[in-house]
Amino acid sequence: MKCLLLANESAEVLFYWTDTEFEQRVQEQYGVSQEEGERLPAFEDSINTLFAPIIISCSTMVDRLGDNYTSFSTENNHIYVLHQFEECLYIAVNGDGDETEEDLKRKIFVMKKLTEIMFGMVTFSGALLRKELRPQDTEQRNRLWKKLRSLLETYSRLRENDQSFLVEAVERLIHPTLCEQCIEFLERRLVQQINSNMDRMGEEVLHAFILVHTKLLAFYSSRNASNLYSSDLLALIILVQDLYPSKINLDETSEELESSSVPEVFYTPEPSPPERESGDSPPVFQFVDPDVQMAEDSLQTLEAPTPDPSAPSRVFLESKECPMPHSMYCLPLWPGITLVLLTKIPNSHVATSVCYFLEAFVKLEKRLCEGHEGAAAMRGQPSVQEQRSRLEKLIKTWTSQLQNAWTDFKNKAFSRSGSGFTRDLLPSCRNMKTQLCGVYRQFFAAECMGSSQRLAPHLQERALSMVQEKLMDWKDFLLVKSKRNITMEFPGLIHFIYVDRSNGQMIAPSLNVTDRTVSELGKGPLADFIKKKVWSLVATAQRYLQKGYATVTLRDGDYFYCYFLCYNISNENDMGYKLEVIDIPSSPDDGAPVGMLTCDYYRKLLRYYSKKHQNEVVKCYELFTVHLGVIPNEYILQHCSQLARKLWEPTRIPLL
Amino acid sequence: MAETAALAYSRRFFFLYDSSKVQEEEDRTREGIYYFSPEDTPVDQQELLCGQLAGVCRCVSEMSSSPVRLLRLRKSKYAVRMKDSFLWALSCVVDIPDVSVCDLLDQLIALFCFYNGPVRQSYQLYSKEDLALRWARYLCHLQGGSTELHNIFSCVRTIDSTHIDPLLLLKAALILQACQRCPLVLAGCILYRGRVVSTQMTPALTMKVMVYETQTYSQDFRVTANGLSSSVGSPSSFTATTQVFLTPTELYMLRCHPVDRACRSHCSQPPCQPSKSRFLSRTLSDTPTTDTDSSSLDCPPVSYQTMPSSPRSSLSDEPYFSPIPSRVNTPLHSNLMNQSEYFTPDSHDHGTLNGTNLCAVKESLAGLNIKQDTDASSGSETKSEGLNSDQDTQSDEIKALANGYEQSNCLDNHSDHDNQIQNEENKLDANNHVANKNGKFQGETEEEARTKSKQVEGRLKEKYEPRNTPSPHETLADTSLVPSVLYQHRVRGLVLALLVEPEFNTDPTAREEVHHSSMASLNGLEAHLRNTSPGTPGPPGPYTFAHYDCIQNTLTTNVCGRSAGPQEAFVRATKLLHSHFSHLDTLQEAIVRLGSAVYGTRSMAQETYFLQQGTPVRNSGSPDPQDSAFSLPRKARQRLLKHGVNLL
Repeated sequence: MKCLLLANESAEVLFYWTDTEFEQRVQEQYGVSQEEGERLPAFEDSINTLFAPIIISCSTMVDRLGDNYTSFSTENNHIYVLHQFEECLYIAVNGDGDETEEDLKRKIFVMKKLTEIMFGMVTFSGALLRKELRPQDTEQRNRLWKKLRSLLETYSRLRENDQSFLVEAVERLIHPTLCEQCIEFLERRLVQQINSNMDRMGEEVLHAFILVHTKLLAFYSSRNASNLYSSDLLALIILVQDLYPSKINLDETSEELESSSVPEVFYTPEPSPPERESGDSPPVFQFVDPDVQMAEDSLQTLEAPTPDPSAPSRVFLESKECPMPHSMYCLPLWPGITLVLLTKIPNSHVATSVCYFLEAFVKLEKRLCEGHEGAAAMRGQPSVQEQRSRLEKLIKTWTSQLQNAWTDFKNKAFSRSGSGFTRDLLPSCRNMKTQLCGVYRQFFAAECMGSSQRLAPHLQERALSMVQEKLMDWKDFLLVKSKRNITMEFPGLIHFIYVDRSNGQMIAPSLNVTDRTVSELGKGPLADFIKKKVWSLVATAQRYLQKGYATVTLRDGDYFYCYFLCYNISNENDMGYKLEVIDIPSSPDDGAPVGMLTCDYYRKLLRYYSKKHQNEVVKCYELFTVHLGVIPNEYILQHCSQLARKLWEPTRIPLL
Repeated sequence: MAETAALAYSRRFFFLYDSSKVQEEEDRTREGIYYFSPEDTPVDQQELLCGQLAGVCRCVSEMSSSPVRLLRLRKSKYAVRMKDSFLWALSCVVDIPDVSVCDLLDQLIALFCFYNGPVRQSYQLYSKEDLALRWARYLCHLQGGSTELHNIFSCVRTIDSTHIDPLLLLKAALILQACQRCPLVLAGCILYRGRVVSTQMTPALTMKVMVYETQTYSQDFRVTANGLSSSVGSPSSFTATTQVFLTPTELYMLRCHPVDRACRSHCSQPPCQPSKSRFLSRTLSDTPTTDTDSSSLDCPPVSYQTMPSSPRSSLSDEPYFSPIPSRVNTPLHSNLMNQSEYFTPDSHDHGTLNGTNLCAVKESLAGLNIKQDTDASSGSETKSEGLNSDQDTQSDEIKALANGYEQSNCLDNHSDHDNQIQNEENKLDANNHVANKNGKFQGETEEEARTKSKQVEGRLKEKYEPRNTPSPHETLADTSLVPSVLYQHRVRGLVLALLVEPEFNTDPTAREEVHHSSMASLNGLEAHLRNTSPGTPGPPGPYTFAHYDCIQNTLTTNVCGRSAGPQEAFVRATKLLHSHFSHLDTLQEAIVRLGSAVYGTRSMAQETYFLQQGTPVRNSGSPDPQDSAFSLPRKARQRLLKHGVNLL
């Protein structure tokens, strides 16, 4: 029984996702309370009514106590987690014991990340985000919500099954030679060819990478591209998996062999049905209310036509200045293997300017709210005149609403009859913010972008066939390799995960729990049991890490678990044994969960380490191990130490 | 945001709210607030908190069809209990383990029900103000642990037995056993200056009984002087009874006498066995005797021992329950024997001590009770009859807690007020005696108790670890509470508290006999305890530890008072680990490091935490077999042996 809900301060639902069980429960509750013959309220209305008291109480608590709810748990172990981002309240519910409070919190933060990837800076304005998430047009809203729900489900599936989403780090295919060849190919042949072609419509490929399922085979960034953060890369993998899901529970090899005979055709696989419809759990209880049925029918017809396959997705990626708009092209080479191109779009420099001014107005608003007036309100910013003239220059090409807002602001701030820099300026200041976000939206939101803005289809097809040609002989090897990436050689060691947090990458033996693929752990219930244990170990370690504990060992049942977080500096080649201990600060309970997708905890951690080791490159890595409990502790620790040394090696090869 | 500053978050809030009093639009929230602590919180803030929390809790519980148990805010969290229209909420800072704050709330509610009976009924009988004073007292009692650790484990405070002659503990145990010869006596405990010397009750029940002890002690002897309580003896020694309410489980457990339990544990259908560990672990009557197996088939039926008039079922009890030489030797004990025989021809004599195992028992006593409470009544000896320093602060705290109320009254008024409560309690007592006279009552409750016990057994099996609180549902289920009587005999700092059947009050002979039989030995015990000098705590070692006995609910630790430095780190880690242990049954041991490493280990019976002070390791966290953190288990085993903690 699961649910995730976004609402604004006026208790309006901006988005919701529920599983069938939750939906049934709500409908039963309303079914009982309804008078006979009365029409069942629309599901969305029921959700709204159900959660309204909680949402309203939240705002009361914030307004009057400066505190807010973060969670509720009931005697039957239902969990409700709440988190407020600016004007937007997220509520996640679990009633089936599958998820812990931490999991729900993580889900909320991932949902937030996904909205940022999809809408960029628009998320800064509550009013615009509302418009974006809840379009007036029902058809459009249904389409968007469907997309968001599907993304959320894809994330949950990956989180449950994929180790790289468990520890939130990208997993590489370990094959240095092939990897290098691919990078060279991407650089010399592919990206160069596209970027020198006239039909690229002003776009420029900045990053190109090849994914085998969720694992990274090769990654290339052009020289003038800014850094792609691991958190963004992980989020992009979710988007790719949403478009071309790997069928985790099936043995793919046989299918793949068959379908590979027609590589020239642009392949758009049917989106796989969400798991709940997969037939393994038919709904126990079905409502046959004619009205509901009709509503569902009409939903069917409202469904959007199959999306244009060569249309890119708009993604907003983090950069030093602001969320930068990019176009993402996912080109499926074969089922399970995808080529992804990230391009810079024309006009993207506007984003930087808009951000610059937005930040200035945010600061001004803050100063004004704090009661600073006059010159004090502008302290800490470049001179007013300079900003003013810069804005005047740019604004001509932007929206008329912004121009009006600017005129209004100027009249109040700079003219003699106006209020000057006082509290009275706040509404104009806020209006400027909204209008700037509006400009950003108009330039970059997917909806507003002209449908012709894309790399020409023939260019995309060319790219696809080039890489297909290159990898043709490797294809089957890669698909198998992605299932058995590395093997283990320590007796008594059941499993390990090694994460290099400096580059956001991880290495671990595969954990396949299906009957048909055999992993290092064999198959069936034992592998499943170990998988559960590994998942809980990571959750536990992250919980302790949040409190600042960087070493944890646990004896639980028949197993012994270790977790180590270590750092090292560039000129230290001995695993940092001689470095002094740096205690890491504990994060507040209501902060973001430890992870990369959620808040880039590790980026902050590295910064923290760097402060103590200035002018040196600090690396940070984590090791999780599961051993048999019967093995004496000394041996276990020796194993861990040897393992860490061994794993430390490959990351030295500069693959990225 | 305006009120943020006013609402200090370091404060603990506790409130009882009745939403049935606030149903119409015009009803004010304050009508529903039965009790709010701290009492000096402005009413509008009380209303805000109660109104909002009750509102969301109801909303959530309706959506999930289950009451809310825990509610977290960014800066605090609340343990919640919902029953009918009542809502109890107790707040604490966020880093207290969930399990601790939930336990604390359950204990608080259980305490209230123990002394006042069902909540709804108490609020019909007494005024909000009277009951507010009691809530404050209970709250203060429960939060009055000497260190933060005591509150986290919510443990029973025991005397520092490392400095006490084990024979005194033995004596205390014998006094309790002697009292039990009166068939109306269910179980008892002996307390000295707010600490347990010996108890036959479950830790939860002992804790409840202790509140009354502290209360009467702080009232000094006014009660006796005013003759409000039935009292016998000199001012320094008096007896009193008060009405209390037991849950059917508690009653059932009490009525299974140790004798029969020892026997029944060998039977094919042992109703009490899973919970055996909850019992009497501080007295000797539960000491297993290995030579009893042969007689196991002859054990009496379950219900037998609870009927005072039933005949002796089997002679097989005789060999190991016969009087023992060591007791007969002293005039005191022979006296006791005679009396108890007079009371109970069917013999509730269950002394398990015979000549052969006395030594063993002594040894086990010594082992059991090597506990070091560094804070143990330091300096309390300065007053020969005076309050324990802990109690001093406690009564201060009570006043502080109830300040809104007490400030308007002078001390005399206060005592008057207490007397009033006492008066009313006595009235209630009388009512109950009438009720109990139609003997039907007793039978019914026993039936009930038996069926209940089956459920209880199931619950106990579910729960791997015996909890120190009764199932909250039982406490909350008002109707199931069974009136009983708490008898107390005080000799200066020493208190004998007995839970007795309600008939005890109307049976002057029983009362007198119990009183006379125990008086001399109590006086003797008190004199000995008074003359035992409190041990000076040894120099704190280069390590910090805490050892929690889950069965006896006791804590041994060398953490004292306000923790700082390495101790603070230790307490922080202990909280996390305790919380982790409580969530994961299969977790046996853990080492976690932030600065210095803390080792935690647990078994069915105990949890132990250990920190070795010293220089931090020179590495950046990478796995290293030489790392001193991983030698903690070995060090803990060595170091803690001398504190009586055996981790082998």
